[in-house]
Amino acid sequence: MTTANRADAPPVRDHSAKRRWVGQSIRRVEDPKFLLGRGGYIADRITPGTLHAAVLRSPHAHARIARIDASGARTLPGVHAVITGAEAAELCDPMPDFGPDPARHTWRCLAADKVRYVGEGVAVVVADSRYLAEDALELIEVEYEPLPAVTDPERALAHGAPLVHEALESNCAYERTFDFGDVDRDFAEADLVVRDRLRWHRSGGQPLETVGAIAEYDQGTGSFTIDTNTLSFTSYLFMAANTLKVPVNRLDIRPVPAGGSFGSKLFANKPAVIAAMCARKTGRKVAYLEDRVDNISNCDHHGSDRVYDVELAVMRDGTMRGIKIDVVDDYGAYIQFGVGHHGNALAQVVGPYTIGSVRYRVRAALTNKNQQGAYRGFGSEVNNWMLEQMVELAARELGLDPVAIRRKNFIREFPHFIPTGNVYDSGDYDQVLEVALELADYGHWRAEQRRLREQEGRYIGIGLICAQERSVFSATEFWFWFDEPGAPVTSTPESVSLKVDATGGITAILYSCAFWGNSPETMVAQFVAEEFDCSPYDVSVVYHGSRDGLPATGPGGSRTTVMLAGAVEGAAGKIKEKARRAAAHLLEIDPDDVEWSDGGFGVKGDPERKKSLAEIAIALHLFKHSFPADMESGLDESKVFDHPYTTMPSADRTDLGVFYPFMGHACHVPVVEVDIETGAVTFLHYAAVHDCGTLVNPRSLAGHIVGGTAQGIGTALYEEYVYDDDGQLLSSSYLDYLIPTAMEVPELTIGHVETPSPYTPHGVKGGGEGGRMMAPAAINAAVNDALHPFGIRLTELPMTPERILSALRAAGPMGGPTGGPTGGPTGGPMGGPTGGPMGGPTGGPMGGPTGGRAG
Amino acid sequence: MKPPPFSYAAPTTLAEAVGLLTEHAEAEPRVLAGGQSLIPLMNFRLAKPGYLIDLRNVAGLGGIRREGDTLVIGAMTTMSEVERSAEVAVAAPLLAEAVGLVAHTPVRNRGTVGGSLAHADPAAELPAVALASGADLVAAGPAGSRVIPATEFLTGPFSTALAPDEILTEIRLPVWPGGHAFVEFSRIHANFAVVGVAALVVLDGDRIRRATLALTGVAPTAIRATAAERVLAGADVADVTAAAAKAAATAVQGLTPAGDLHASPQTRLALARTYLRRGIELATSRARNER
Amino acid sequence: MAPTTCTISLTVNGRPHVAEVEPRLLLVDFLREDLGLPGTHIGCEHGVCGTCTVLLDGASIRSCITFAVQADGAEISTVEGLARDGEMHPLQDEFAAKQGLQCGYCTPGMLMRAREILAENPDPSPAEVRSAIASNLCRCTGYQFIIEAVIGAAARMRATKEVAS
Repeated sequence: MTTANRADAPPVRDHSAKRRWVGQSIRRVEDPKFLLGRGGYIADRITPGTLHAAVLRSPHAHARIARIDASGARTLPGVHAVITGAEAAELCDPMPDFGPDPARHTWRCLAADKVRYVGEGVAVVVADSRYLAEDALELIEVEYEPLPAVTDPERALAHGAPLVHEALESNCAYERTFDFGDVDRDFAEADLVVRDRLRWHRSGGQPLETVGAIAEYDQGTGSFTIDTNTLSFTSYLFMAANTLKVPVNRLDIRPVPAGGSFGSKLFANKPAVIAAMCARKTGRKVAYLEDRVDNISNCDHHGSDRVYDVELAVMRDGTMRGIKIDVVDDYGAYIQFGVGHHGNALAQVVGPYTIGSVRYRVRAALTNKNQQGAYRGFGSEVNNWMLEQMVELAARELGLDPVAIRRKNFIREFPHFIPTGNVYDSGDYDQVLEVALELADYGHWRAEQRRLREQEGRYIGIGLICAQERSVFSATEFWFWFDEPGAPVTSTPESVSLKVDATGGITAILYSCAFWGNSPETMVAQFVAEEFDCSPYDVSVVYHGSRDGLPATGPGGSRTTVMLAGAVEGAAGKIKEKARRAAAHLLEIDPDDVEWSDGGFGVKGDPERKKSLAEIAIALHLFKHSFPADMESGLDESKVFDHPYTTMPSADRTDLGVFYPFMGHACHVPVVEVDIETGAVTFLHYAAVHDCGTLVNPRSLAGHIVGGTAQGIGTALYEEYVYDDDGQLLSSSYLDYLIPTAMEVPELTIGHVETPSPYTPHGVKGGGEGGRMMAPAAINAAVNDALHPFGIRLTELPMTPERILSALRAAGPMGGPTGGPTGGPTGGPMGGPTGGPMGGPTGGPMGGPTGGRAG
Repeated sequence: MKPPPFSYAAPTTLAEAVGLLTEHAEAEPRVLAGGQSLIPLMNFRLAKPGYLIDLRNVAGLGGIRREGDTLVIGAMTTMSEVERSAEVAVAAPLLAEAVGLVAHTPVRNRGTVGGSLAHADPAAELPAVALASGADLVAAGPAGSRVIPATEFLTGPFSTALAPDEILTEIRLPVWPGGHAFVEFSRIHANFAVVGVAALVVLDGDRIRRATLALTGVAPTAIRATAAERVLAGADVADVTAAAAKAAATAVQGLTPAGDLHASPQTRLALARTYLRRGIELATSRARNER
Repeated sequence: MAPTTCTISLTVNGRPHVAEVEPRLLLVDFLREDLGLPGTHIGCEHGVCGTCTVLLDGASIRSCITFAVQADGAEISTVEGLARDGEMHPLQDEFAAKQGLQCGYCTPGMLMRAREILAENPDPSPAEVRSAIASNLCRCTGYQFIIEAVIGAAARMRATKEVAS
């Protein structure tokens, strides 16, 4: 643990003020337009005369492009342009790339010389309609020279594997081992080391709306204007300008409401670049809207895809001493965010536990798949799952109760610096656990588990996990991997401008906080209402384009609420400072003698003498000469709110500094039943308790918990981008990429605990990712608990029926419930003549679908 | 994912529709019923018919009626109509149960019985129902009408005995009010079935007089499990659990299902055994309750 | 060769329309682009997600796998027809009250499906609602607050004895 940098902590805040709007589950201010079908999503903004683009995609996982003949497409009536990958490489520079070696794993908007995954674009057609554009795609002839594909990350790292990028001379894009604390000593002193190998396959956000962009190029000014449903990392959009070969002040990207993101619209610039390139080429407005096949195969936002070899060193009494993590992450064919996902993991790598040392070895493997991007959790949800699996394993091997081992190791003093250097600002893990156990009716389900197994031969399991949900990332997590980073960026600001008009009405301007289904407008409205005692529904919130906007980063890493809170607080403070002076001047009194109360500035001790915000505003807007010479007209102020608590990594990287300080926590307790004949997993109960500090809108946060948990259920049981050995994407539609319906998601029993952050306005922390950060770990634990009588531990996600049944088959006939010590529930033959590879269960503990369990 | 262009007609008589199939044969015409199977394929551009003949205005292809011991269902009857039909609930409850498992209500509101049978997806429910029920399918072509028994109708995955110029006009199901079950395993609620079982059981006192069983998901088409049916014939109802298990084991012998990303061949066989057993037990218990 | 077109007549949200359409034009594109009703959204374009759900003669259908020509003679209801005289339908209001939406993209389809559900069964249990809305995917909410909204709307509609048309 580090003692360095503690002096750099921001001041501890006093949250004792009463709140009127923050903490209220008000109706969202965003909702009416969406309910009326006037959401204004990107596809709703197509004006007459706009042309449409469609992209031709590679059917091969790995191949050279020998020849493209687009002549047939170019002459189809209604086609305005065809741009091949080679032509695009002249028109555009490579895509923005935060990877370790962009010059060698060069990523372009269309493949130029070779394709590296099924679905990679090789040409784009622009036509009068999407229908015609797709007709034209079929007329493009491409001659491919297939190359051997590599799809397994460990094989990709092995000697002699086909190279995804020849220039890189390796499929290992990055490798490094970090040591924090004294790992060797902790392992030497441990009573027991538990080991496991774990596999987490890639799933992804798959929002119902794909990415899209509408672009225009003004030849007069040489400027691009692009409307798109991705706007984030505004401060980095200069990279997109570079791609389009225009000066940065000739690119304006304007945000548009998005139909969901979950990370997959974060800095998703390829559609914008393609649309812009086509607009410049044709001289017309061009829309490029991904369709579902485009998005599944080519969204550039597949989730983590990891192989873990882990060792956890523990004492006999359950104390966890140290952990050694060796992870191979399959990044696909490009690596746009570098290994930032592992920075995310390092923010909370020891979970809520006082583990003293960590060895973290990461290897980024390149394969012939679409690349990773962002998916709710951004890599830390995988760490949660891995860690809780190891805790569970340790508990089993030590004969300890799962609750007891966690209590044995909980961090209880805050702020707490973990071995990597990051800080946990506040928390109360005991309380969260207690509330969860009660909501989960834990004792009842343990008894039910026993009863159902003994009396009915049914296998239910209870998962209990306690894990972290970090919020508000710093840029350091992307570059502390390098001793000599090329760009040691330290800015991740968020900006808000507040304008008080002459009637006292307030407009808030956001610069990079796109609406994705998060509720930036409601958050800002509640914060502004809290500051100015107005109604949140009277606040007008607008989104500003990038070019003439203030610096901003946008949603991601659960940062939006905290950063908007800080920006609003800052801007409101400046407004109030000017308003105070103005009110004092109007009241002919000293500024120190007025105070804010109830919507205006009044004289201390004489609140009847008061000027409302509206009175102050109209005076400032229109009556300049009533004020001192140094007061400007108007009442507008902005705040560029920088990350409030970031510290730098040490030169030797034994201390990564503080980079993700506002640490939430949760406990999930699902109860599942595993049908051992079919491998189906159903939920009997699900309790979830989250602590994200002070809640701005509890109902909204609860909605994110349920939604995130639903996605976690998908990751745990159903969703996987499946590639075969030849790199063919087998799950290329929603027939095979299985998104949970309402029948796969149980009703959640939700609890809230609030331990405020000492460092943020109102004590808020981020919480939008939490549900998905917990659920996969919790559900895996529950399934393992159910299958424990068979000696089975599942260590691969998703836990499909195939994987569950394979494990049961491998467990052998001993694994059959009718053959085991618990006996057969319905009498009848014990396995008998129909026994065989399935072992016992042909005796049918499940009975028929209406018999058996339903009674 | 926009469909490719095609020529289109919406004739009002069956003769006209058949005539168009013949006249435009070289354009690879297809018949359009509800479109719930065909249009997705066209959006993927996996199907590119040059001519679509829409049956929505053709008279005489709808309706559900009883003709003695036969239930006659017009090919253009939607699944929702079948699902809501009191006639079907009484005369062919196996069909009613199976139809309720076909995708979701919005798909059933458009999808037709004839469309599903003619599409012959190996995972689909209705072909299995047709087989288990011993149904006859009536097709109209240029030379007139003919009856195709279900056992001859399914010729391969997505392939039937219908000639390119024939249109399925009605399905004739023997009435079977008693012991029935349609059970299936799908990964996500109402998604296509990995494995499905249609079971019909008739009792004679305390014995199973006759059973018919059909399976989906284990072969290139839905199949009858005749060897398993023989195992069940004469079985004592009190021993149904054992008999069902034995029948299920018999049924999967010799089957070589293909594997895919959802289930390996071994898993398909295991699921088939499980669902056969469950289906037989359920059908038998319903047959008992009928008495 | 210019594509041939068909003339279709249909009613959308109570308003009659006559249009010339290519036979391959999907109903969802006809509604959005030809009729300027962008409330119906495109999700998967292969009939799985239900985002494009509208009512055809009162029955829910997937407009991404329906050709506009197939809707000739039909009465189509979309989300734009739910609110009357500036007042939201109880379903819309309940979705707002219960926060049954986050990004709003699945919402129009979900509202139209809910309309059908309540027309068939004005007093459904939460389990019945959950089973019925399994036809429509939502990626944001995890469904729980949607179910609460539908139950809430059902109660209000029963109270005012509104007949869902």
